Amino acid sequence: MFEIASQAITPAGFEDVARVEGWPVINDQYQAYLRDESKLTSEACDYIFFPRDEAEVAAVVLEMARRGVPLTVAGARTGLSGGSVPLRGALLSLERLNAVEALYYVPHVEEWRVRAQSAVTLRDLNGMVLNKRFPELARGGDQADRAELARFQAAPGDFFYPPDPTEMSASLGGTVATNASGARTYRFGDTRDWVRGIRVILANGEVLDIPRGKYFASANGRFTIFDSQGRGRQVRVPDYAMPRTKSTSGFFAAPHMDLIDLFIGAEGMLGIITTVVVALCPREPKCSVVQFTADDEQALDLVESLRSQDGLPLDFLEFYSQKAIDLLRRRQAEEPAAMGMPPIPAQAGAAVFFEFAFDPLAARPDFSLLSQAVERAGLSLAQSWAGYELREMARFKNFRHLLPETVNHLIAERKRLYPGLHKLGTDLAVPDDKLRPMWNVYQEALDQAGLEWLAFGHVGNNHLHINLLPRDMEDMQRGLELYSRFAAQAVAFGGTVSAEHGIGKLKTKFLPEMYTPAQIAQMKAVKQALDPQGLFNPGNIFLS
Amino acid sequence: MNIVVCIKQVPEISEVKVNPETGTLVREGVASILNPFCEYALDHAVRLKQGAPGTTITAVSMGPPQARAALLRALELGADRGVLISDRRFAGADTWATALTLCAAVRAVQGDFDLILVGKQAIDGDTAQVGPEMAEILGIPQIMYGVQMELSQNGKRIKVKRESESGYQVLEARLPALVSASKGETIRRLPSFADILAARDKPLETVTADNLDLSEEQLGLQGSYTQVVKIFPPQAKKACRRLEGLSSQQAGAEIASFLRNGHFI
Repeated sequence: MFEIASQAITPAGFEDVARVEGWPVINDQYQAYLRDESKLTSEACDYIFFPRDEAEVAAVVLEMARRGVPLTVAGARTGLSGGSVPLRGALLSLERLNAVEALYYVPHVEEWRVRAQSAVTLRDLNGMVLNKRFPELARGGDQADRAELARFQAAPGDFFYPPDPTEMSASLGGTVATNASGARTYRFGDTRDWVRGIRVILANGEVLDIPRGKYFASANGRFTIFDSQGRGRQVRVPDYAMPRTKSTSGFFAAPHMDLIDLFIGAEGMLGIITTVVVALCPREPKCSVVQFTADDEQALDLVESLRSQDGLPLDFLEFYSQKAIDLLRRRQAEEPAAMGMPPIPAQAGAAVFFEFAFDPLAARPDFSLLSQAVERAGLSLAQSWAGYELREMARFKNFRHLLPETVNHLIAERKRLYPGLHKLGTDLAVPDDKLRPMWNVYQEALDQAGLEWLAFGHVGNNHLHINLLPRDMEDMQRGLELYSRFAAQAVAFGGTVSAEHGIGKLKTKFLPEMYTPAQIAQMKAVKQALDPQGLFNPGNIFLS
Repeated sequence: MNIVVCIKQVPEISEVKVNPETGTLVREGVASILNPFCEYALDHAVRLKQGAPGTTITAVSMGPPQARAALLRALELGADRGVLISDRRFAGADTWATALTLCAAVRAVQGDFDLILVGKQAIDGDTAQVGPEMAEILGIPQIMYGVQMELSQNGKRIKVKRESESGYQVLEARLPALVSASKGETIRRLPSFADILAARDKPLETVTADNLDLSEEQLGLQGSYTQVVKIFPPQAKKACRRLEGLSSQQAGAEIASFLRNGHFI
């Protein structure tokens, strides 16, 4: 079915919606709403609205459309590309849409699902799922809700919601709008893979209820979306091919695509996601391992060896480059207690960090496949750190976070001398067979330019975060030039200019690296069909 | 040289919450871990072994069958052998009955020990009594709250830097002795995955009351001088005072005078 109809909802009284009005008071008292984790800051915003339900969202949308005031939508403002930072007009914060509405089992796919409003955070959702405690459903739900909750509690084993973009204070709606991913994408895919339904308020103030698996593009690549009055709009699916890697650059498009996928990762350009239905995954006990290697090359050997080993499913596969290990070692020498780890082994040049299912009480665990994969790279499992208790895994997670934290600390120091200076972090990904060629490009160009840099990140998905650490403004300029060169190279290798952070407002100049003007025009046509007035999130994705 | 490390499995206390309605501990989802102070004791054992090759480290734990997990952890961290002392008849043991049982087990499995290492206390009960009681029962010297340990050249004595209320003391004792470990500067070690796999091939035996030279009256609740009557969460301190119905200027003045009167500023 490629035709779908939106439903009218009775909008609430616009005047009843909680709000703050006027730039002076917003700028004075609501600074937090004017920026996200990217540090991009708004310099013009006339309203902040805090709707508490869909009827209030609809009221704001209709009124802003009537007044011609653009609307930027914010979830938890944890994005890294400025997507939720208003350039002008109004900000609509979804923070009060924070109810968990339902937990239920879908027998034919043997899957537990949660329906929740947009502002529920990943941390809260995972806390409820892991502990099997849903206070709202236990207290406020009806009899059927409580029966389903009791069934979930009685279900054997533990569950979790896999998308893990590191920042667990991210909101569910925000992660769906940006198709958030992270380390565990290696095994579990990105947010898109776990979304089973969404409700979206369109620019006409009506709501579209889209379950996954019901509305697919027609053979000629079209959807027809009717409003409640029976007026239809055609949406033509762009005909570009998606890169052979994870990507959050522009709208998703594919032949016969599911309509839901058009909205997932569209960075709020096509509508406001108010409710999402997500699937839960059974959770096995895990073991985290940091395997030290002699150098970067050996780390890449290990990555390739682990990736090519059948029968060895890893949840994630992460990289610390030699320069990253050096920086951590220096930090450890200064503050051993802050790191909370044993000394990084003297012979460690680089490291690969991965996780897999492990039952500590199994009688005779067989990890010969892992041993073989490690040995093929000329290494031994004796050169590793490993932990399977939750508290130990938290230490590893902390160790991983320590790297960007140390980098930020270093940059903050340098910023004192050069206020305009900031970290340059790439978010490029390439297909599997281009991991090494891309690495060689990075290494050669950066070392030749004499820049200080390091690399870490999701090597399993060929998605490394190259951090350039400029020492002065000259370095900064050279770094920016190289960033553009790397983006072009990643695209030439069949990759993406943004693998997980999204285009937002900060990377709009990179979109034309990846798509031709005609392809971008196709994206804009989708936007035009659904939001003809350009009401939602001006400045996101497209160069203005 | 034979070192015995006595260890205990405990709930991961930082996660434990009290159910406000029933006043009982919420144990759902709370992991069981090896008591961190026991890990420090084990860490000292491994370091002493590095200086005295040929040393055998035996980890001993009294607990339910699940405590096997804590022993596996000890084997991963460097113990050579694990002994689980487990029997329903031990249930309800207080610190004395526990110490008596542990001593009987140590005599049974490693009677020729040179050194017993324990954590200074377990993070669940926090009594810090079992170690000293064991030393008394065995009639050996004890040094508590050790943070650094060193064996003498001839391996007959141990020198321990220990925490005291006013700083540190360095004490020496002849072996066999019992030393308890405090945190000091120790950062908990991480085994390699090879260590984790190798631990599963190390000997881990179970000892029951039948293997110990103790009478029924000395076991569990029967052999305990003390009993827990009630467990309840501490009263939350309500030192907070709310300022209501004041303008921000009045509230500011009120806070300032409170701070001044209390000599905080």
